[in-house]
Amino acid sequence: MTTDPNEGANTLEMMINMGPQHPSTHGVFRMVLHLDGERVVRVEPHIGYLHRGSEKLSEGESYAQVITLFDRLDYVSNFNNELVFCMAAEKLMSIDVPERAQYIRVILCELNRIASHLLYYGTYGLDTGAITPILYSFRERERIQNLFEAVSGARMMHNFIRIGGLKQDVPEDFRERMDRLLPQLRQGIDECDRLLSHSEIFLARTRGIARISAEDAIRWGMTGPALRASGVLEDVRVTEPYQVYDRFDFDIPAGTMGDCWDRYYVPLEEMRQSLRIIQQAMEQMPDGPVMTTMRRIARPPKGEVYVQAENPRGAIGVYLVSDGSEKPYRVKVRPPSFCNLQALPYLMRDAYVADAVVILGSLDIILGEVDR
Amino acid sequence: MFGNLKGLLMTFKTTLRKPVTAQYPKERLPIEPRRMGFPMLMWDKNVGEPYCTACMVCIRECPTQCMSANMKDNPLQAEGKSARRKIVESFEINIGRCILCGICVDVCNFDAIEMSYETELSTFVRNGRRMDLRELLERGTGWQEQSGWKPKKERQPAKRGPEAEAKVEEPT
Amino acid sequence: MNWLDLGLVVVGLGLLLGALSAVVLSLVWLERKFLGRLQMRLGPMVVGPYGTLQSVADGVKLILKEDIRPDWADIRVFWVAPVLVFVPIFMVWLTIPFGPGLVVQSLDLGLFYVTAFLVTSIVGLVMAGWGSANKYAVLGGLRAAGQLISYEIPVIMVVAAVAMLAQSLNLEVIVAKQGALPYAILMPLGFFLFFVSGLAEVGRTPFDIYEADSEVVGGPFVEYSGPHWAVFFLAEYINTFAVSILTALLFLGGWNWSLTLRDLVGLDSLWAQAIALAEVLIKTYAIFLVIVWIRGTFPRIRIDQLMALGWKGLVPLSFLVVLLNGFYLFYRLPEWSLVAANLAVLGGLFAYLYRRAQTAPSAPTIQRFPARELRRVR
Repeated sequence: MTTDPNEGANTLEMMINMGPQHPSTHGVFRMVLHLDGERVVRVEPHIGYLHRGSEKLSEGESYAQVITLFDRLDYVSNFNNELVFCMAAEKLMSIDVPERAQYIRVILCELNRIASHLLYYGTYGLDTGAITPILYSFRERERIQNLFEAVSGARMMHNFIRIGGLKQDVPEDFRERMDRLLPQLRQGIDECDRLLSHSEIFLARTRGIARISAEDAIRWGMTGPALRASGVLEDVRVTEPYQVYDRFDFDIPAGTMGDCWDRYYVPLEEMRQSLRIIQQAMEQMPDGPVMTTMRRIARPPKGEVYVQAENPRGAIGVYLVSDGSEKPYRVKVRPPSFCNLQALPYLMRDAYVADAVVILGSLDIILGEVDR
Repeated sequence: MFGNLKGLLMTFKTTLRKPVTAQYPKERLPIEPRRMGFPMLMWDKNVGEPYCTACMVCIRECPTQCMSANMKDNPLQAEGKSARRKIVESFEINIGRCILCGICVDVCNFDAIEMSYETELSTFVRNGRRMDLRELLERGTGWQEQSGWKPKKERQPAKRGPEAEAKVEEPT
Repeated sequence: MNWLDLGLVVVGLGLLLGALSAVVLSLVWLERKFLGRLQMRLGPMVVGPYGTLQSVADGVKLILKEDIRPDWADIRVFWVAPVLVFVPIFMVWLTIPFGPGLVVQSLDLGLFYVTAFLVTSIVGLVMAGWGSANKYAVLGGLRAAGQLISYEIPVIMVVAAVAMLAQSLNLEVIVAKQGALPYAILMPLGFFLFFVSGLAEVGRTPFDIYEADSEVVGGPFVEYSGPHWAVFFLAEYINTFAVSILTALLFLGGWNWSLTLRDLVGLDSLWAQAIALAEVLIKTYAIFLVIVWIRGTFPRIRIDQLMALGWKGLVPLSFLVVLLNGFYLFYRLPEWSLVAANLAVLGGLFAYLYRRAQTAPSAPTIQRFPARELRRVR
């Protein structure tokens, strides 16, 4: 027998404004929660607080300059973003990138995937109320960023992947550094796993919360770990391999429940698979140039192209139109976290206030990419 | 219960480790040789003048328009000491606008501008982040000595920069 | 009571306030340092040697800060709330002994008094939540009311069980009764329950629901700043310290373990007092460190899960503790039987939790599919 606790009582909904200055909306996201006590009746997401007009700005910049804008879309997985724009331009200009450059791109992108997932792990710990995970994950992330600094000169906004290859070759001690880094990362990821994943309190907070079935996840246009957590084996690296991804042997982790815990654990498992990819790429990496011979200023022929790649947050797509000048005519980005965010009101049916934070966290949004 | 105990054990084990914190202002982490700080201007010691001829390439290519420059006739060329016909008269970089992309270095044809190791923005003056020619050269010279920088012609190939690969300018 | 006694009490209270403030400063420093170590950080290092003066500096900053009042706040409620939180928590210390005879006012109904006053600070929290004119604060205040009232019951029941064993409500007597065997060994289940519900009572992780940073951004305290916030802060740490010292006194035998050492220097001497005080403080700080350790490891649980844990788990179990003690006392059973019964219940509890963790919803659900095969399928 179920009874409505509010039967006969004259209760009102409370509207609570979460964000844009709330510590766990991952930036300047705002959601208006309509509450019945602690229960969320309805949620209205509001985006756009971080809108910088990147797509429009791209139309006024040369191709080389647009790469710096792509660095700042998803500001925790910069290499992946640079790569997808460069791939689009390269496809338009039909350039073959030297193999060594492709391998280095893959290594850097996978490292960046690990760095990005580590950030997700840490902030998700914070969302559920644990304060230590973020410090563990940042320790590992720091190591990756030190390597990035040694390779590209910058810790976050690299501008390293260029149209036609790379800015420069990796430093001479790259191999030794990687040999040192990979076991450390492996151990660090295991420690992170041990700290949080199986804690009963964490399981109680995430298990069975905001379940989404595979069909619904596809219908809402989700991609990336959030989609794979529902059991859909969709990964651009495998379904439409780009660069040299078809040469590596790795696993695609997928969840079965499609709840917050699965969405949390799939990235954690992906980090281990990324390490496997990096290991193989380091072994296979050939010598040679890292830049094709081409004009200094890229000027793609007239045409349009759509390219997609697997970002840490899902499939990022770039639609690039060129009118033959040295500036792109139109750049349209399909940002994964924006599309994943669409499902938020659906996921928040029957959630508690505390769950609202956990559900938003599990989608792993980066506002720079949502608002562009 | 047992997952919780695992976590407790994990944090306890960590307690016995050495902390990884660096006490920032006192203790600084080692600088990577490729580190990209703010762009600075280079000083040609052989001639005793800046490399920069104020050709405006970097100013045009800068995504944030953070620089400006003026050109003048080179007095040293008239004296026959220098091969540069034009030389920079004034140069200003607004460090607050710079996004450290390194495009100015890539496009420069005269080795005149390089990304230094300077990354700290704070100054004691309100307008302290607009660096004029004197300051840019001062810091650039300091960086030149710190990093052992050499102009492209004197450098080994395949050491630094995409220019190591022969770039053929194809006619359109 | 004559004037002299009253004067002594006032002086004692003044000393107590000073001592407690010093204790809070040390607690804050200790927490930050230990939390730093748990997270491979150094913690505060700049102000004073090893950052020891950091909490003093923070206190000075808080007092000098502007006291901001929201425009729509109910000013009387808003300003009275911190006082109403602080006073009861401070009053608790009136009867808590730090050593034999080292107490402001030894009360025969001491334990009763302590439990009665511990619960009173809820009013202040709800008032703070209501008076702030902030929805987050209201949510937090109501959460606090629900949480603290629910967890008061297990605390009171376990405390009653302790009083049954000691046949007294006087804290000094209770400590003295633990000469042979501390109650933590005699009734481990009670010890476990008291510690868990004590954590909830002071709102420390994993039960820091009413001030949850990532959800209600500080709960009732969200609109407070400067000195008023400092009062809340002080109250919270004094409360934590109170629960730690109560655990030490009620379950870990207070100052009993150093009896032989105190015999050596003479039981009535000042040195003996100092040794007893040191023992109590060491135990208390150890318990506080465990609380910090837990804070550094666990996520926070949700309000409905907290209520379920309280009413479906801790409340029945605490009644069971009273029942077990009743059987033990009424039939004059041997001590080992009480210990065995407690351990059996505790073991059963853990076994149940373990089974629950192994079965369905918590079991890992991630599968891995080799990319090589997926590529072949396409």
